[in-house]
Amino acid sequence: MSRQAPEGKNLVKRHALIVLVEHWAIAISGLALILTGLFELPIARRYFITEIPGLRWSGDYVFSLQLHYLFSVVFIAASLFHVVYHWFMGHRAILPQKGDLRESWEVIRSLFGKGEEPPFAKYLPEQRLAYAGIAVIIAGLIASGLVKTWKNLFAPDMDLWLVLWATWAHNLFFVLFVLAFVAHMAAILIKPNRPMIRAILTGWIRRDYAEHRHPLWIAEFALQKKPAVAVTEQDAPCQE
Amino acid sequence: MKTEREHGISRRAFLTGIATAAAAGTVGLPGKARAGGEGAFATLIDLSLCDGCEGREMPACVAACREKNAGVVPEPVDPIPKPFPRGQIEDFSRKQGVTSRLTPYNYLFVQKAEVELGGGKKTVSIPRRCMHCDNPACATICPFSANHKFESGAVVIDQDICFGGAKCREVCPWAIPQRQSGVGIYLHILPTLAGNGVMFKCDLCQDLLVKGEGPACITACPRKAMLIGPKADILAEAERRAAAMNGFIYGKEENGGTSTLYVSPVSFEVLNAAIEKGPGRPHLGKAQRKMEKTDPMARAVVASPVIGLVAGIAAAAGARMKSGKEGGHE
Ligand code: SF4
Ligand code: SF4
Repeated sequence: MSRQAPEGKNLVKRHALIVLVEHWAIAISGLALILTGLFELPIARRYFITEIPGLRWSGDYVFSLQLHYLFSVVFIAASLFHVVYHWFMGHRAILPQKGDLRESWEVIRSLFGKGEEPPFAKYLPEQRLAYAGIAVIIAGLIASGLVKTWKNLFAPDMDLWLVLWATWAHNLFFVLFVLAFVAHMAAILIKPNRPMIRAILTGWIRRDYAEHRHPLWIAEFALQKKPAVAVTEQDAPCQE
Repeated sequence: MKTEREHGISRRAFLTGIATAAAAGTVGLPGKARAGGEGAFATLIDLSLCDGCEGREMPACVAACREKNAGVVPEPVDPIPKPFPRGQIEDFSRKQGVTSRLTPYNYLFVQKAEVELGGGKKTVSIPRRCMHCDNPACATICPFSANHKFESGAVVIDQDICFGGAKCREVCPWAIPQRQSGVGIYLHILPTLAGNGVMFKCDLCQDLLVKGEGPACITACPRKAMLIGPKADILAEAERRAAAMNGFIYGKEENGGTSTLYVSPVSFEVLNAAIEKGPGRPHLGKAQRKMEKTDPMARAVVASPVIGLVAGIAAAAGARMKSGKEGGHE
């Protein structure tokens, strides 16, 4: 992948296509899982959700479970793909680092006009921490969901304590997942973060913004032996 | 560029990884839902022996069941909270004496069918309760796992954590579980917004089973019309009796298989046409397992980690081989 934008464009490549596909596969299936998971509670008919055009199916537990399974396939496969692919590619930029907690605090203070924002690498320290948090939540959802699916398919008389653990872990991680989603939306609405929305939609980010806010990242690939134009996805020092 | 060694994995390891993950994906999944483990019990109800306890005020099995379960339903709060927005409650607390149907206070009743048999009219008595299905949707679909199938084969609702959403009744082909509003855990959480009581049904006297005793109804039957035993033995016995009376079996295939086998000299189509059906009065017709259509997708879910794993390794291997070629290395 070339990080250089077409001639004359003030842009730099932030995410490879594969990352965009992973992100949106997990995001869209995750939202669909929240919705179909909610419809596994007896709420749709009680609260007249079945009357909403296009949501008549919401009162059918078996159909919403079918959809829940369908989106789980995408969600689980994409999550595991993400972990395995980036692990083998040596991409570590989004993993939390020492000092992230302290640095996050500084960033939050700077948002309120207290002190200067420190220079960033590819990701903000709170992005790295949030990534670890959501990874734990997703891992919990997947593990507990797989136990529940196995029970539904093959072992309805599975040990009660295992079933209870899986069920309540799934319900608890569901709540945490919804909260994490709300926090994620709030974070991208914060003004200094907004230019990153373009990156997760198109892969490209404004070069002046990146140079100003992510100088450590820009410096990393500018320092490569090859000029930025020829930097390939695989060579880039600081991938996702 | 970094070499593959620097990334901590060789190209050969990639390929081995793909092969291993792919092999894991083909390791056969069990073919069928486990229809109860080795220790599972089943019951047999022989309709040629049951006479509905003619002459008694109340059938012995019903009386024994009611006595065993007396006091299971706590006193509902007064007034019972009206669930928002529909305001519909189900309250049997003033009809606790009803024995002609399933209610939260009555988990077994005897259905009557007037049929033609051998040129004359005959009344067939049919004790009805939960079938304790082999893969019960009522249990697997409960969002709180308040309903569970135990290794004994009994399907039991834990009244302490049931919110009374009645999902179990909806997915049960016979709509067996019965709701009592105004009792249970929902009263302590969001009584008008979430939940609407507790579901009640036969639990096959699970507490007695674990002690090595039989269910109260079976012990009480003066005509030995009901049996309990290891599943395989009961199935064999049901088949033997059905063959001997040139009769019929109900409960073997229904809802994907159950732990309750009815044996009858009269066909179940005829009985089903003759019984009174409605809320708390289950049919004796065909019963498809509603969850069956979700099975293929559930299998895909179980396989999805392997799909992700293999695709991830393959994509990384591909990307790095490409970069290797472009870089002219190796
Ligand atoms: S008969 Fe209905 S309530 Fe009983 S185990 Fe089967 S599905 Fe559940
Ligand atoms: S099963 Fe036995 S106890 Fe129950 S009604 Fe029939 S004869 Fe009476």
